[in-house]
Amino acid sequence: MTRGVRRRLAFLLAGNILLLLAIWLLLKQGSSFSDVLLRSAPDIAPVALAGFALTGIIFTGAIDLSIASALALAGTTFGSLVTHHLPPLPAFFGCLLSAWVIMTFNGFLVSRTSIPAIILTLAGLPFYRGLALILADVTVPNFSGNVSVVSEAYHLPGKQLAGLFLSLGAIAAVLFDGYSKQARLWLSLGNSPEACNLMGLNPKRIQFSAFVVGGIFFSLAVLVYVTRVQAIEPARMALGFELQVVAAVILGGTNIFGGEGSYLGTLLGAIFLYLVSQLLIYAGASAYLQDAITGAIILLIIGIDCALHRPAKLMEELA
Amino acid sequence: MKRPCVLFGLLIVEVALFTILSGHQFNSFSDLTHYFRTYFADLITQATPTLILGFGMTLVLMAGGIDLSVGSTVALISCVMSSFSPGGNFWFTAIPAGLAVAMSAGALNGLMIARLDVPPIIATLGTMIFYRGLCFVVMGDLEKSPFLEIPGYDFFGKFKGATCLLGIIFLFGGTYSARSVWRREILMIGGNRVAARFATIPVEARIWQIYILMGLLAFVAALAFTGRNGSLSASSLTGLELHVIVAVVLGGTKVQGGAGSLVGTFFGVLFIAVLDEGLRGAAIWGRQNLPFKISHIEYILLGLLLVGGVALNNYLSRKKLAE
Repeated sequence: MTRGVRRRLAFLLAGNILLLLAIWLLLKQGSSFSDVLLRSAPDIAPVALAGFALTGIIFTGAIDLSIASALALAGTTFGSLVTHHLPPLPAFFGCLLSAWVIMTFNGFLVSRTSIPAIILTLAGLPFYRGLALILADVTVPNFSGNVSVVSEAYHLPGKQLAGLFLSLGAIAAVLFDGYSKQARLWLSLGNSPEACNLMGLNPKRIQFSAFVVGGIFFSLAVLVYVTRVQAIEPARMALGFELQVVAAVILGGTNIFGGEGSYLGTLLGAIFLYLVSQLLIYAGASAYLQDAITGAIILLIIGIDCALHRPAKLMEELA
Repeated sequence: MKRPCVLFGLLIVEVALFTILSGHQFNSFSDLTHYFRTYFADLITQATPTLILGFGMTLVLMAGGIDLSVGSTVALISCVMSSFSPGGNFWFTAIPAGLAVAMSAGALNGLMIARLDVPPIIATLGTMIFYRGLCFVVMGDLEKSPFLEIPGYDFFGKFKGATCLLGIIFLFGGTYSARSVWRREILMIGGNRVAARFATIPVEARIWQIYILMGLLAFVAALAFTGRNGSLSASSLTGLELHVIVAVVLGGTKVQGGAGSLVGTFFGVLFIAVLDEGLRGAAIWGRQNLPFKISHIEYILLGLLLVGGVALNNYLSRKKLAE
């Protein structure tokens, strides 16, 4: 963990505590603070878990922009399984599997072709969205824009178990970050593909493994996201989700160009973004204004972060 | 010049295919010519905003950037202009306001990319969502249609006005950029940024200029769009950016920067526009023969065309290098 990352963690910790304090002060009489904390898990879990997936991928210097569409496709798979009266557990499994397969497929393409990851996954954005719409048209009888999931049994992971998923995922990610060799291999690939190659490592395989492991976290994120909503809309589901996740990762101190970062930072970043949006609600901003302000804050964060990395990058260019 | 010819051939094949799929019956030769005359006039007016944006996007991609926020920028400009009251004063209030919004939207992209050094795709993904959020702040859930009440405004939506705008931008802009040092500097920035800096090209300033130009072109595109489509909501024009990027890439411009062609872009955009229009026209055929809505194929095709176009461009440039 470099000094910059450690500094960022300290900053986020302090920022989160300050935000919590501000929310506590803004709370009206009658609503309890512990309620606010308990309600937060289902909102934080998808962003944080998908963030863990993207953290590993960004470590290697790649990125996956298609996660929102991939989420829609996996969600539609889940929806069509539900409409065919599958019991909850197999339906959850189908959702997890499809999400994992999509991300692994992305990883396969990114590591095997010479097209930049950013362009490949940008193409995935309309591609998976289209597949989701076609899948819904073909498999759901009388499909009219959304698949509503009524039975409460199907909402278990998203509503009751989100906190459990989040904490398990976070513990796994932090342990993985601290003790596994693979995370370091990703970082080394992000730092210098050439050095990796010269050390006898296989850059393609390392890159692919980042997507495979990321797929596990991503599938959990999809499961929580999909089972939380009442109706699955393939056309509009999770629009803008990728930016939220990327923002959480970058805010957490992970360098967007790869080679530097931490999983813990991503968790704290996701919490920070959630608390900011909550603060706006308690401060009484309208729903549309909230979206715009959150967008502006994300832009500001990304801008400042990249500006901080700028001198080092310029020196590298001139060296 | 090979690419535009190939694209032109493909365009003709595509038009023929979709004319068959649309199930149109021709009784005589004059019927046929009449059909195609209206078809192409419609196609040009429909594709005008995309063509204008394609012009800018070619320059942006040449410089090694990308702009995902164009769709939201056009929507934001249109939303701001629609919030003014229609009437004679519209030209002196809404148009300057729209221009100001366009310039500042472009300048924000420029600030993020040139000054703060954010990767262009991340920066414009962010502004895409931010500008869309602003659209909702301006419009809310309403759907407005003030543009057709303004005297003289529908000029931009008709064939004559559209070709005027296109002619000015493509002929003047194209000739200027073909002969200018400016374009070569842009190409050099896209090809090798460090070398460009050593060659005393003001890299930062050029990138600012490109994105502000993109904003201005978005304003012109907004004029063409609102002149044709009277009504407007906050979620209009979502997904426009992908159409533009795919078209430009098909036209032979490299996403990595350093190479590009405006003529190619022109045909690339027409190719995508015919596809768009054709899939809409083939809706009846699709309902009878396919288990899903045929318009959904467009998403898949856009993805495949983007990857295919980039791969093709890479392959061709590698082959050229080997020779």
